[in-house]
Amino acid sequence: MSNTIATDSLFSIEQRDALRLLARMIIPSTAAYNLPGADDDLIFADILESAKANEAQIAESIDFAMSHDLGSGVSIEQVASELEGHPAMAALVSLVMQCYYRDDRIMVSLEVEPRAPFPQGFDVPQGDWSMLDAVQKRGKIWRDA
Amino acid sequence: MSSDIDFSPVDVLIIGAGASGATAAWNLAETKMRIVCLEQGGWTNPADYPTTGRDWESRAQSDFSINPNRRQQPGDYPVNDDDSPIKIANFNGVGGGTVLYAGHYPRFHPSDFKVKSLDGVADDWPLDYGDLEPFYAENDRITGVSGLAGDPAYPAKQSLMPPLPMGKSGQKLAEGFDQLGWHWWPSDSAIATQPYNGRDQCINLGACIYGCAQGAKASTDITYWPEAIRAGVELRTWCRVKEINIGDDGLACGVTYFDEDGVEQFQPAHVVVMACNGVGTPRILLNSVSEQFPDGLANRSGLVGKNLMLHPYASIQGVFDEPLDGYRGPHDSIWSQEFYETSEQRDFVRGFTYETTRGRGLVATALTGVHTGRIPWGSGHHEAYRKLHNRIAGMVAICEDLPEEHNTVTLDPWIKDAHGIPAPKMSYKISTNSQNMLDFAVARASETLRAAGATDLIIESPLTSGGWHLMGTARMGKDSKNSVVNEWGRSHDVKNLFIVDGSIFVTSAGVNPTRTIQTLALYITDQIKKRLAHLFD
Ligand SMILES: Cc1cc2nc3c(=O)[nH]c(=O)nc-3n(C[C@H](O)[C@H](O)[C@H](O)COP(=O)(O)OP(=O)(O)OC[C@H]3O[C@@H](n4cnc5c(N)ncnc54)[C@H](O)[C@@H]3O)c2cc1C
Ligand code: SF4
Repeated sequence: MSNTIATDSLFSIEQRDALRLLARMIIPSTAAYNLPGADDDLIFADILESAKANEAQIAESIDFAMSHDLGSGVSIEQVASELEGHPAMAALVSLVMQCYYRDDRIMVSLEVEPRAPFPQGFDVPQGDWSMLDAVQKRGKIWRDA
Repeated sequence: MSSDIDFSPVDVLIIGAGASGATAAWNLAETKMRIVCLEQGGWTNPADYPTTGRDWESRAQSDFSINPNRRQQPGDYPVNDDDSPIKIANFNGVGGGTVLYAGHYPRFHPSDFKVKSLDGVADDWPLDYGDLEPFYAENDRITGVSGLAGDPAYPAKQSLMPPLPMGKSGQKLAEGFDQLGWHWWPSDSAIATQPYNGRDQCINLGACIYGCAQGAKASTDITYWPEAIRAGVELRTWCRVKEINIGDDGLACGVTYFDEDGVEQFQPAHVVVMACNGVGTPRILLNSVSEQFPDGLANRSGLVGKNLMLHPYASIQGVFDEPLDGYRGPHDSIWSQEFYETSEQRDFVRGFTYETTRGRGLVATALTGVHTGRIPWGSGHHEAYRKLHNRIAGMVAICEDLPEEHNTVTLDPWIKDAHGIPAPKMSYKISTNSQNMLDFAVARASETLRAAGATDLIIESPLTSGGWHLMGTARMGKDSKNSVVNEWGRSHDVKNLFIVDGSIFVTSAGVNPTRTIQTLALYITDQIKKRLAHLFD
């Protein structure tokens, strides 16, 4: 029997478990900010769904991590210190960040409205244009040619 | 469908519907000649742009990536950039690079056209600021430029709309410039700050380089193209040109292209205008080999594909203790040209522009933090993230790149596009002059960011992703031995072949090129109109 899980994903059950563990290693939940980690059900579902667009690369990251004894009883800290910053993990880290930082709960906690930028847009203050008076006083700086 | 297409000879055939192709088509339309433009990509629908969805930052890394090798959409072709520290960025479709550009819209300065006379390097252009001035003004009018008149770094020029807001970050950086007594000014931008010619005003979505869903940014698919098409120009999309064909008389007789169905077609033409940018144009010329032109069309000078200029960028970002604009607001804000003109006190000639950057989205903040070691994995993640969230602002330095023959676009011997056409290869090295300029720009920007209150600096020099200004690979000049086109854009070797895109630049200046590319396209097509009766003499 194949150990490929019964979703559209090509990841094996082991790979999926490892991915979830990695998501938690990268962004764990926090009591201080009362936020879930990246292994939260909703966020992890987004991670799995979004991984499809870049499945081969993500699978490579997972396999690379698994080859570092991920999930075999070695402490998470020890594995993390070996994987953190490694180029082989870049695609997976990027995926985790993309899904975590578009979750409503995370956005709200950062005081960002949980919505697409368009069509409302955002307000940006004009700034103090009178500051330009001093620049103008310093005079012309272009060369005649 | 090719059965609906009229393959009888056209008067003018334009290749490429980007910044310069659109401008040329618009300006030639009033002649009532039969004009056809072939574009390898399609139209984009603003409703599909990333900022209309919650996943906009993800799409910026996939189907709207600025890098065609990553984007891999049907209109794209591969570019081998392994031999360049600065990687290709472009957009292939109606509007070309302007679909993704930030809309920074500076003019060249009078000194930029006289580099040899003033500084003893490279070459002077065969025309000057005065020649282009009326065409700058005309292009500004169609494009819709916002800014503020009175910039002491420029000769007088009008502004059509008020400047973009400085925002908190612009103001913070302006305070830094002021403390050091440096020049700064609101950037000229191809972004509407008021309703303009049917376009709506900017609403600060903050992701201009992934397409402007609001239609405030002047990409040529919404500026020049609708008017050109109304005036009778035919724009054929999903048509990729393979080569320009040459007749026994030594003139271009038409082009061979692959249509939407992948079928090879021949379109005869009396005049061919190339507008495929500084990589796409030399690629087609080098692919157009014949007995008369064994080294590529219009290449008797041997300079097609040589002198590639990219504008090395340095990115210098500060981390501040207080919240700034973050993800809000267009990329454009203020610029400084304090170090624009040559100074004998420095170890480089020519200069650069600083353009300030407002901040970044939530995901980009996280990735910046993780990649630079500022945000750790694990329990420290959240606190470290909050130290960067909405607190990054800074600037990029756009350094003038001088032409060097060893910086090239050639044909890759192995890589081909989806139609089997050899792909271009960029080979590029940063010169000592450019490197010294980059180092100086980083050091001075660091001073101003510290003066503005930055507590930490994030520096990337050169900015590897920034190969978006593609210039110099079919340069303009009066002498056919050291240039590809003459002073009004006509090939020295093929008298009915014109080039209007960034490849004709003689030097690159220290500013973004597109306003000058479009201005030159107006100038050259104006020359064509004036000389119609004896165009091939
Ligand atoms: C992310 C990004 C940000 C930028 N920001 C700025 C900015 O702020 N300010 C600025 O001045 N510039 C900016 N630029 C650069 C700007 O986009 C270019 O300078 C400008 O678009 C170049 O104009 P062009 O006419 O030379 O070529 P392009 O606009 O690139 O147009 C070339 C067109 O030719 C088509 N083409 C190529 N080969 C073929 C073929 N074989 N057959 C058919 N069609 C073909 C392409 O599909 C394309 O549509 C930016 C670019 C990018 C990618
Ligand atoms: S910031 Fe303004 S110009 Fe940029 S994408 Fe948004 S609306 Fe368009």
